[in-house]
Amino acid sequence: MNELKIVGKSIKKIDAKDKVDGTAVYPQDIYLENMAFGVTIRSTRPHAYIKVDTKEAEKIDGVIKVFTYKDVPGKNHHGVVLKDHEVFASKKVRRIGDPIAFIVAETKEIAEYAKNFVKVEYEEIPAVFDPEEAMKEESPKVHDRDNVFYHFKIRRGDVERAFLECDVIVENVYKVPMVDHAFLQPEAGVAYLDEDGRVVVIASTQYPHFDQEEIAESLGVNKDMVRVLTPAVGGAFGGREDITVQIHLAIAALTLKRPVKTIYSREESFLAHSKRHAMKMYYKTGALKDGTLLALEAKIIGDSGAYASWAMNVLRKAAVHATGPYYIPNVKVDSFAVYTNNPFTGAMRGFGATQVPIAYEQQIDILAEKLGLTPIEIRLKNCFREGSETSTGQILEGFIPLERCIEELKSF
Amino acid sequence: MNLKKIDVNINGKDYCLEVEENLRLIDLLRDKLHLTGTKEGCGEGECGACTVIMDGEIVNSCLVLAFQADKCRIITIEGIEDEIIKNSFIEEGAVQCGFCTPGMVLAAKSLLDKNLNPNEEEIREAISGNLCRCTGYNKIVSAIKKAASIKRGGDSE
Repeated sequence: MNELKIVGKSIKKIDAKDKVDGTAVYPQDIYLENMAFGVTIRSTRPHAYIKVDTKEAEKIDGVIKVFTYKDVPGKNHHGVVLKDHEVFASKKVRRIGDPIAFIVAETKEIAEYAKNFVKVEYEEIPAVFDPEEAMKEESPKVHDRDNVFYHFKIRRGDVERAFLECDVIVENVYKVPMVDHAFLQPEAGVAYLDEDGRVVVIASTQYPHFDQEEIAESLGVNKDMVRVLTPAVGGAFGGREDITVQIHLAIAALTLKRPVKTIYSREESFLAHSKRHAMKMYYKTGALKDGTLLALEAKIIGDSGAYASWAMNVLRKAAVHATGPYYIPNVKVDSFAVYTNNPFTGAMRGFGATQVPIAYEQQIDILAEKLGLTPIEIRLKNCFREGSETSTGQILEGFIPLERCIEELKSF
Repeated sequence: MNLKKIDVNINGKDYCLEVEENLRLIDLLRDKLHLTGTKEGCGEGECGACTVIMDGEIVNSCLVLAFQADKCRIITIEGIEDEIIKNSFIEEGAVQCGFCTPGMVLAAKSLLDKNLNPNEEEIREAISGNLCRCTGYNKIVSAIKKAASIKRGGDSE
């Protein structure tokens, strides 16, 4: 066989040299002529009606303009699946951190100073922070609709009858918290008009093509009038899939016809982007005496926070992975995505497949203990092999080396 | 805001500057001199992305005021010509998103300037003030080991 040129070789990253030299350009490293600086005013309340007064701030020497929802030329919304985010909160804030205004000034110092003069009046309304509470009919509504905005079901075999046949049943509730990506480069960006009058937005993003669409919609222009450039990205892990700086900068650059830059602090970065979904997982798993898994019933509730982001995809994936890599003939899974007034949740490394192992693997260990089997024995008995059928009916073909992987663990 | 006059040597070049009293060293480097290889990850001395070498010791430039650098010698990533360390980082795959990299290289440089034969614990101690969120620590450690070995005159491991 000819030696492969790439596979099996250690390839030097194409931008590694720039990164070790410190010359790789992240958005915060860009300085343009005549560049103004923007800072974002964010909600300090989780659920409230708001009134915003920018007049005093706009009188400050060096403040160019304070943008609010009234200054959005196109649609005041964005969102990767549902357009449920507002570019700037218009009537109501739904979480701590919702953007309300964007102050653009000659310098960062002036913009920061002007923050003290933007008056936001909050009329607080009842908020909900527990997704299970939010599922109740009488609970405060985060949007003008039911808080449960996604329900995914898996039905396979006859779970009720199968549990009657089980020799041992284990029932537990598992909870995992929100997690922040904390990528090392806080969000930053620069926008300006190019020689053809197009809005150019430079931002570290995972989705320049999505951003282009969302920016164009909020500007009320065609997509070809918007360019999104992605320079070096200082980590993302899913946390740069939703809009943060992009639309604010684009509106400011288009309106003011000059370059505008913004850089979030670490604290603002925590407020601005999504989190990993907190999940509460009710698990009931049943097996025969010999360890054969017979039935699984699971209810998985995902806290989507104030916005949907990728919740449908994440909760679907959590449900699809609910059995783990084990064959179970009778399965009933219900997963829900629920709005609350918490930070919004979205993509983060694993996309829902990361949360459920906490539940299904512990269930298997507890079952093994009750049956007098080792954790290895029960897994070898049930793990997916070539030709296994998953709870969604997929027949696994190709290379499924799970058995070998578990066998290898015997020596530890 | 009161201005203070400082004389500072940055990457071998003498500067005589007037700086605001509350200006941080990182802002002097980035905003005034556009030495943007120094990164700001947290602004509170936790992440080490803003690491520079000040009179031979690594410091977080977000926690040093610019006027405190008066009469000091500052080395930023732009002043590091140590190709052995840099190449070791590249070859060992120790560079991912790159935002921690300048700080890591400076922490490595500071260590190897004092100790050419560090053990693993000493290497980990030397980069303990620098966070990497791409979880590349093992490769960073092996890059520093490799650089030390080459500097000692040995082959790369």
